[in-house]
Amino acid sequence: MGKITDRYAIVGVGESERSRNSGTTPLHMALDAARSALHDAGLNAQDIDGFMNYNENDSCTSHDLATYLGVRPKYVKDIQGGGSSTEMLIGDAISLIEAGMLNTVLIFRSMNGSSGQRVGRGYNPDMLQSALPGGSYIIPYGSASPSQWFGMFATRHMHETGITKEHLGHVCLSFYEHAQRNPKAFLHGKPLTMEKYLETPDISYPFNIHDSCVELDEANAIVVTSAERAKACKSKPVYIMGITPRQCHPNAHYWADLTKVASDYVGEELYKSAGVKPEDIQVASIYDCFSWVVLRQLEAYGLAPRGEVGDFAAEGNLRMGGSLPTNTAGGMLSEGYTHGMNNVLEIVRQLRHQYKETDRQVEDCEIGICTGWSGPDIAGAMILRK
Amino acid sequence: MEYQKPIPLKTEDNKHYWDMADQHELSLQKCNDCGHYAHPPGPSCVHCGGQNLSWEALGKDVRATIYSYVITYRPFLPGFQDDLPLIIAQAELEKVPEVKIMCNVIDCKADNVYIGMSVQMTWQDITEDRALPQWIPVVV
Repeated sequence: MGKITDRYAIVGVGESERSRNSGTTPLHMALDAARSALHDAGLNAQDIDGFMNYNENDSCTSHDLATYLGVRPKYVKDIQGGGSSTEMLIGDAISLIEAGMLNTVLIFRSMNGSSGQRVGRGYNPDMLQSALPGGSYIIPYGSASPSQWFGMFATRHMHETGITKEHLGHVCLSFYEHAQRNPKAFLHGKPLTMEKYLETPDISYPFNIHDSCVELDEANAIVVTSAERAKACKSKPVYIMGITPRQCHPNAHYWADLTKVASDYVGEELYKSAGVKPEDIQVASIYDCFSWVVLRQLEAYGLAPRGEVGDFAAEGNLRMGGSLPTNTAGGMLSEGYTHGMNNVLEIVRQLRHQYKETDRQVEDCEIGICTGWSGPDIAGAMILRK
Repeated sequence: MEYQKPIPLKTEDNKHYWDMADQHELSLQKCNDCGHYAHPPGPSCVHCGGQNLSWEALGKDVRATIYSYVITYRPFLPGFQDDLPLIIAQAELEKVPEVKIMCNVIDCKADNVYIGMSVQMTWQDITEDRALPQWIPVVV
């Protein structure tokens, strides 16, 4: 067990409405999500002294949010980042609380990911060539979207391990099935069959639209505090057993080595810090910007053996009643997309048994894993318990 | 008609690669301290941090094997709308297997590309003074 095991907890989670076109600003949505997370925790805005967010220059600042909640914040932090930033900021929050500098931290992600700036449509080519080291080796060839960057890893990995397009389909079908039980999922009411999946044309092989996350307008927020302070909260705390907030690929030009992803470096330290093994995990939130990314992480985190992860999904293990129900609100493939934070909200709710006596509850689950994937370059994860 | 796609941006670190490409030749950065190649090139070696770098000329006859690929059916950048479906592939160099270079595979139908396919480097003259390395299937 690590130094911080069970000494910190997520005590509040909340979200704004999600839609294709919010008709409002990221600040308004962030306020909705923050108020909802505070209400969930039974805290007042004044109880929060640290405010943090991650963004891609598409959001409001933590200072904005805090002051419009009526708080003069002691500490604000706004980082540029997407996937795995939630885990990193939770790590930062714990460190600052542990050092006695803060008491309780609210972390949020707010984005008009559909009506505003859209990741999936690619970026400005001139910006990319100069902003990315090595950008001039991919942009002139038409590779400007994560589907193409990660797809290059996927095709090779599928070749080496025998994962098929149908295996990718099983990831999508599992998550879409969860979304049908979640009235707030964006693709609620839009179930997917294998036949429909396989006849959907690719956007960029090996990915079609179902393999790719939804892009939406949405905000999420979580509240992190010490186990001691958690006692005073209204909610049932979900304890952080272990966390590895960040690991990186050995090469900044991560596509120069398709055999490695940052997630490969997370698991060992993570399980050690939490004092558990992969087989102890009962529910999972696996970052799912693309279907294949889920399979690659199941392998990286030892949740299914390399070469068998496709069959693991095909056998129904990611579904309710399977050995590892995963992304049980529908994930980013079918619920919502805030670069991973919606998957954090869901695993907290599962571990609280908030869906008890409904078909959404993973029965008796006590330990869960939540992974973040910025890309093959950067990753992080945490293990949580009831 | 004017070339519409992004043209490789020359920088302090990669200039030699693109200058040689303009002359239809491949040149790779190599670390003299640890012996590893660096692609894409940079200010120092990503394997050991060494600053003792040099360039190795591989000439005009560059053979390789497709290592991975994606096939894109939508233009994500200006200029690619007439090239769909577009094959973007990494190929492993026959002489330097640790280096994989990403290009388009040209003169190849999307259905025909596969991992293990033999390709060779060719250079497209995209403007008066710039050339872009590409992969082309080796005809057996």
